[in-house]
Amino acid sequence: MEDSKHQDVEIEEAQVESSCSEAQLLPKDETVLELLDSINNYLLLMDSLSSKLRDGWFELAGARQSMGSSRVSSALFDLKYHHAATLMEVDHGDADSNLKQPHFTLHKWLSTDNQEFSPEGGKFEEDELLQRKSSSPHSTEEHQEKRSENGPEVLSSPSSPYTPNSNIKKERAKSLSMFGTLVSPKLRDAQLSFETVLETLQEVANVRSSMLAAYEQVLKEIEISKI
Amino acid sequence: MANRAQIPTNNSALIAMIADEDTITGFLLAGVGNVDLRRKTNYLIVDGKTTVKQIEDAFKEFTAREDIAIVLVSQYVANMIRFLVDSYNKPIPAILEIPSKDHPYDPAHDSVLSRVKYLFSSESVASERR
Repeated sequence: MEDSKHQDVEIEEAQVESSCSEAQLLPKDETVLELLDSINNYLLLMDSLSSKLRDGWFELAGARQSMGSSRVSSALFDLKYHHAATLMEVDHGDADSNLKQPHFTLHKWLSTDNQEFSPEGGKFEEDELLQRKSSSPHSTEEHQEKRSENGPEVLSSPSSPYTPNSNIKKERAKSLSMFGTLVSPKLRDAQLSFETVLETLQEVANVRSSMLAAYEQVLKEIEISKI
Repeated sequence: MANRAQIPTNNSALIAMIADEDTITGFLLAGVGNVDLRRKTNYLIVDGKTTVKQIEDAFKEFTAREDIAIVLVSQYVANMIRFLVDSYNKPIPAILEIPSKDHPYDPAHDSVLSRVKYLFSSESVASERR
């Protein structure tokens, strides 16, 4: 009797040991849960994005119906040189950490006259140099006259005389002016809907970034457990 | 070039788009459109006449530019260049597949989700056990 009990205890101990060794081979639960959470968040955000895009398309269709399809078409897109008013700031994350997880922040309706945020890579710098080279002395004089009319605060000073709200209204109106001076309220609604879509896209980009980071971490732990 | 003074930037960059006309119209209304001095835009409108080569060239161009943070691609367009999208693995610019009016979002085709779900597929579990 005592021998059989002793054998049972030994068998149980062996089973516990084997389950512990199996657990050591698997990546940590915390990392896997983080990955699954980010996948879940990504899917929920994509569902929300789809819904907001549908609202935007619906309002655009309504604007096209009230204004006419020729007044809301790609033929009217502004192909003259201009900066984007809405940009995405990228924070490349901690340089010391092994996991590079970029973080995205949306900046809406920046002043295109006096752009404080310049895109990376010096591309705008290149455009400015090209602009200076192509400008003639005649146009330079005109430019100087305009500066004296408007005052230095508009062109040279980094701080705009406009309040943030009036600047946002001005940039929104500039965007709408592509389709004419008088636009349907539905086109304004479409503009607001797509602004909301951009906010959701910012969240999607961040969740995607954390999902990829969690995925890399899980893969790393699997590799370590194989050694 | 090397001696040119750098304009202090704060890492803000453009959002590029490869999508249908309505989607691009909406995003341009939201202020995302950019045209440089060479008349190059940060978007490509995909319609019935757009070739796969044009889409591929636009994708390669946008993903190579340093001034672009995100590339929005309609999922049905991404399916036309699926090999290119799936083989892209840089963190910036981020490629986001979005639905279009006529083609709803399908998680099964999403490049990032397909990469991640392999971890949980029966094939990967079976190969680990061997």
